[in-house]
Amino acid sequence: MELLKVENLDVYYGNIHALKDMSLTVNEGEIVSLIGANGAGKSTLMQAIMHQISAKSGTVLLNGKNVLTQKTYMIVKEGMTLVPEGRHVFPRTSVQDNLLLGAYYRKDRAGIREDLERIYEMFPRLKERRRQLAGTLSGGEQQMLATARALMSRPKMLLLDEPSMGLAPIIVDQIFDTIVRINKEGTTILLVEQNANQALRIANRGYVLETGEKTLEDDADKLLANEQVKAAYLGA
Amino acid sequence: MAVFIQQVVNGLAQGGIYALIAIGWTTVFGIVGVMNWTHGEVYMLGAYIGYFLTSYAGLPMIPSLLLSMGGGALIAMLVDQIGYVPLRKRGTLAKSGFITALGLSTFLRYSANAAFTANPRAYPKLMNYQPIALFSIGGTQITINSLHLIILIGTVIIMIALQMFFTKTIIGKAMLAGSQDMNTLALMGADSERLIKVTFAISGALGAAAGFFMGMLYMIFPTMGALAGLKGWACAILGGIGSITGSLVGGVLIGIAETLTSGFISTGYKDAISFVIMILVLLIKPTGLMGYTFEEKV
Repeated sequence: MELLKVENLDVYYGNIHALKDMSLTVNEGEIVSLIGANGAGKSTLMQAIMHQISAKSGTVLLNGKNVLTQKTYMIVKEGMTLVPEGRHVFPRTSVQDNLLLGAYYRKDRAGIREDLERIYEMFPRLKERRRQLAGTLSGGEQQMLATARALMSRPKMLLLDEPSMGLAPIIVDQIFDTIVRINKEGTTILLVEQNANQALRIANRGYVLETGEKTLEDDADKLLANEQVKAAYLGA
Repeated sequence: MAVFIQQVVNGLAQGGIYALIAIGWTTVFGIVGVMNWTHGEVYMLGAYIGYFLTSYAGLPMIPSLLLSMGGGALIAMLVDQIGYVPLRKRGTLAKSGFITALGLSTFLRYSANAAFTANPRAYPKLMNYQPIALFSIGGTQITINSLHLIILIGTVIIMIALQMFFTKTIIGKAMLAGSQDMNTLALMGADSERLIKVTFAISGALGAAAGFFMGMLYMIFPTMGALAGLKGWACAILGGIGSITGSLVGGVLIGIAETLTSGFISTGYKDAISFVIMILVLLIKPTGLMGYTFEEKV
């Protein structure tokens, strides 16, 4: 079943055509990876899907419903959210309050408590540091926090923008393990990554973006074996 | 020494009032990102609402205070709706919010001048004013005026309520988070417009409370908000913009500095001293006394 379907999306920054006639689908239960160089339009696409920037034309169907013109906070209520590039935790707010803010729109206190416990089980580090200000966490911990905070809104569809950016290789491995685990527990994932190799390895399918256009789409293992992709993105 | 301590005590109530004004400034600036120059006018209108309630309606102090806070909240929300909402919709608040604020502020100030006349007015006596002995230093009794004490207690209660709101409720936490990163807050399913409304309501209620307390101390007049608004902004800057504790410290410091200046130098310099202190502090510590030291992580 198609959970997220983007059709013919066009985004402009002034005169610059940043995203050209972009279409993609993410089926329920999948991990789909978007790869491409810096400036290919990956983050632009994520922001346009969440309506953090406005698209000029196209549709964004979430569960069959067009959310293109909905405000960001309404899209979150519909069950889709984004862990933005650069993590964007609230630095002067405690770790625990960051997590509780993730559940801002929810009214089920018991459910929120439960989810908080589940998150602490999944990320023991965050539990240890729950009273600390988020700004004092390391980069890897902040990424964990940003991801966990997004989970607190109970998304069906989770967008992750460059979760491994600027992190040490060992931490990157942990981040990818976490993504797989979140997916296994029932969250569908659209992942944007510069780290194409690891991103494709955990994904079901992948898309390759170049200067605002989709140039390739295929099953992830086929993309991993593709000569073009290997030469351009996998450093092989 | 005793005279010095006495002046410090005398400055506390005034300092509390400045702190209330400063917190109203700093919350709106931190969350909405606009220098809301109408804040001084909301303070003035709060003082007038209190005046009409106490002198014409004959209401006692506490109900009048609460009603004028409610009135201040409504006026501030109205200012936002008329002045800033259209700018936010067009995304031009950062560019033209400042001048809109100045225009609205002038409009409110002189409308009040036309409606209430420029004659200063005095609140009726709301309680028995008498000096209360605190302690003695070298045989000199240090006293606090019961009126000052009431204002101080009122200010402290409002501050505690505010602190509880920001640390215990999810809306309060969201407002603090919004002052750090409003775009990301939307990704939690938070409606920024609604949070901004709450912010203006709180700011207006605090400004009106300050105006009410000021009316209990001194005469009120339609242009009283001009200097008080400016001083409140100075206190907010001094304490570190965006920091509520900073505004509290800034307000109390400047209140005390003013009474010390009147007592030991000259009343003529009283109004200048807050700005001198603000400029000096900013030269030494540009983020203000309690400004945040986190680097913005991009």
